[in-house]
Amino acid sequence: MKHFLVMTSFAALAAVVLGIVAKDTQRERMVYGVKVFGEFLAIGLVLGWILYFLPF
Amino acid sequence: MSSVEKRQVEEAAPTQAWLMGAAGWLVPGVGHLLQGKWVRALLLGGAVWVCFIAGLWMGGHLFIVKSGEAGSSMLYQVPPMIANLGTGLLYLICWFFDTGFSDDPVNAARATYEYGNTFLLVAGLLNYLCMLDAFDISAGRKS
Repeated sequence: MKHFLVMTSFAALAAVVLGIVAKDTQRERMVYGVKVFGEFLAIGLVLGWILYFLPF
Repeated sequence: MSSVEKRQVEEAAPTQAWLMGAAGWLVPGVGHLLQGKWVRALLLGGAVWVCFIAGLWMGGHLFIVKSGEAGSSMLYQVPPMIANLGTGLLYLICWFFDTGFSDDPVNAARATYEYGNTFLLVAGLLNYLCMLDAFDISAGRKS
């Protein structure tokens, strides 16, 4: 649970900065920020499960 | 005005833009704050500060090139040090007080050690983006 919390915090902080810096309008920023946040979490979870099954 | 002249006028960044960029690098968020972008300063600067403090709190390690290390080992420290340096004054204060630089095995054994390293590295890299954003706003390339 702690790992997930840390990963979520990381995703949120990075999403805030990337969302604001990368886009021009308020709406675009919100959409992009949420998208980046979701992608960080999804990719993190997928990679976590892939690595879980590796024997080494 | 010809298109070449027009492009030169557009590309020339004023001194103020460089100062805003430098201020944004030195203290995360200040580059935007000085331009009256309060919300942006709070969000961008806040994210970098939180990222950095959380990294230190989790036992992360700050990188520095030490002269005593052998050739390639010394070179490996350069890229992460550049990333860490992105936090400007935060990094310099830690360097001054020798906080976060020691290779402490107790810290390295903590479950959050690698997370801490990542947070510290990313804090610097995010601040480079914030610095560029402050520069672009001041140069009139962004609103």
